[in-house]
Amino acid sequence: MSTQNRYFLGVDVGSVSTNLVLLGSNNEVVQALYLRTQGRPMHTIQEGIKILREQIGSSAEIIGVGTTGSARQLAATLLGADVVKNEITAHAVAASRVRPGVQTILEIGGQDSKIIILRDGVVVDFAMNTVCAAGTGSFLDQQASRLGIEIEEFGPLAVQAEHPVRIAGRCSVFAESDMIHKQQLGHPLPDILAGLCQAMVRNYLNNVGKNKDIQGPILFQGGVAANPGIRKAFEQELGQEVIVPEHFAVMGALGAAFLAQERVSMQGQEQTRFRGLQLAESSFQARSFDCNGCANHCEVVEILQEQETLARWGDRCGKWSGTLKNDERVSEARA
Amino acid sequence: MKIGFPRAMFYYDTFPFWAGYFEALGIELKVSPRTNREVLERGLKKASDETCLPIKLLSGHLASLPSDVEAVFLPRMVSIEKKTYMCPKILGLPESVLASVPEGLPVISVDINWREGKAQVQKALEKLGEQLGKSKGEARRAFAKAQKYQQVYEEMRRSGQGFEESMRYFEGLGKPDGKGVSDAGLGSYGGSHLTSSERLPTIALIGHPYLTYESYGNLNLLSKLKAKAKLVFMENVEQVQIEDHLKDLRKPLFWSQGKRLLGAGHSYAINQYVDGVIYLSCFGCGTDSMTQDMLARRARTHHKPYMVLTLDEHSGEAGVITRVEAFLDMIERKRIGLSNKSGYSSSSIGEINR
Repeated sequence: MSTQNRYFLGVDVGSVSTNLVLLGSNNEVVQALYLRTQGRPMHTIQEGIKILREQIGSSAEIIGVGTTGSARQLAATLLGADVVKNEITAHAVAASRVRPGVQTILEIGGQDSKIIILRDGVVVDFAMNTVCAAGTGSFLDQQASRLGIEIEEFGPLAVQAEHPVRIAGRCSVFAESDMIHKQQLGHPLPDILAGLCQAMVRNYLNNVGKNKDIQGPILFQGGVAANPGIRKAFEQELGQEVIVPEHFAVMGALGAAFLAQERVSMQGQEQTRFRGLQLAESSFQARSFDCNGCANHCEVVEILQEQETLARWGDRCGKWSGTLKNDERVSEARA
Repeated sequence: MKIGFPRAMFYYDTFPFWAGYFEALGIELKVSPRTNREVLERGLKKASDETCLPIKLLSGHLASLPSDVEAVFLPRMVSIEKKTYMCPKILGLPESVLASVPEGLPVISVDINWREGKAQVQKALEKLGEQLGKSKGEARRAFAKAQKYQQVYEEMRRSGQGFEESMRYFEGLGKPDGKGVSDAGLGSYGGSHLTSSERLPTIALIGHPYLTYESYGNLNLLSKLKAKAKLVFMENVEQVQIEDHLKDLRKPLFWSQGKRLLGAGHSYAINQYVDGVIYLSCFGCGTDSMTQDMLARRARTHHKPYMVLTLDEHSGEAGVITRVEAFLDMIERKRIGLSNKSGYSSSSIGEINR
């Protein structure tokens, strides 16, 4: 088979979006999909595989699979992944492939945000936002719909602002009431939007970016990087250029694909664990139950393919997750 | 007589002391069960919403004491060494958690204040003994035993013995079939000190003992880390070393535990055999808000990978796992020199420069 038809697949299943990237043999991005997860990760992954198959044809061969994102384990079980990695590593790998020498990665996604500091191509420091979702994509989505604009218009409007208003960005609830107040005073929409961008960036740098040595080149990735208003606010606050890479929205998936490539080439693993493109048609089910083995009452999740249990997790003691042979594959891949 | 002892807060660093004291007085201590979901939920219901996770867990444990105890023991740990204090929330005990004590169960308390010196502590323990119907002499002998047990415990920990195994030993004492600590002392402990696999990275886990060893509250952090790293703790560092590493502070820290956390943390931050330092903290901890940042600055000066993990009752396992994995990946990729650059091809991956 020609190398033209062989790909590495990277999948990033986050709370808001599910992204798939096909990486060709010359490290080129052949396909990049950005799908809304909409609370149905398993369904969305299958949808994504369906779309990919239509694009590349069923003769195409997937020679390695990497998963990342908050549902990385679920995705790994469904797909049969060769490597399962956290989002920090995946984003860092993608960024330093795309832009060797990158020293700072600003990443803002749907429900979380992170900062990654690299030196000489190696991660030396990172941070993720805590429980609070203030200043993430979901909040911007929410505010855009409240103001009756499309999220795509948000950034272009914000960069038109002449006098951005000052908005308290510490908490999304307070930010919202502050914004309403500014609207009622008659401030124009672009000024309010730009003010919100500045507040978000300030909040991000004070919380996630606290104590971090931010140096250029700086890459800005994640879904929110589509918003030029936020990018501009970052550039103003940091006093230097902020680069938005071409595939900013799917960098996690791209990193997972590179990690799969790394795993296959470095460890001489011959065959991928990928279940095949036909898994788009397979019937997957998830069910959960409370274990009553002890006072912890763990909520155990069970993933089934055609009635056969693929994996279980959620138990603290390993009573359920440890009983499956299939699960060994997942935990091996996780290492 | 059986007295209930909550498996929370001071259990995690001074249980051996109390095991020695009460054993000498012929009183049996009954420790509440290990934390589980029910214990935590009872704590959340009973404790003030504004307080920290460890106090909420203490409340839960008070509400989960074995039913056959005749009283509950709740000391007020004012200070555990000279010129320092415990944190304000600990000073507020036992009063702040009285609402969680099962109705009708008497509370036995004592002020332990090493700040005022050993004589004061002895006096307080004599008074406590009197309340329990013991003579001054008995109480004094119990104090000696308490100190000895605590010293044995600390030696065990310094020599690399794990928390669980050490505590299991002291929990077995004071029971009718307990053997007590033999005068032969420490010979049989230790040995396992810092000698496991060469391949695993060494991680220093710095945190209040009531978080570090509270495996339910910290979402099994220790076993997760142990699978992938060799761990060292605050307890492995000698007190003199701790003092040594705090010499350059402009003002001495007056929190006993904060001082130990920072001193031990710093000794690891400058130790070339330690690959990274994790500071385990909890939401709403006043003393940590200072010390975790002071340690962050020191770690950064020495280019030591450093991460703060913050727990509260809402902590999801996913968040902790992601952070721990990312931290270990960072260390591992750095160690094997796996620069992320290899194999890069400039072909079609560009960037938009608007």
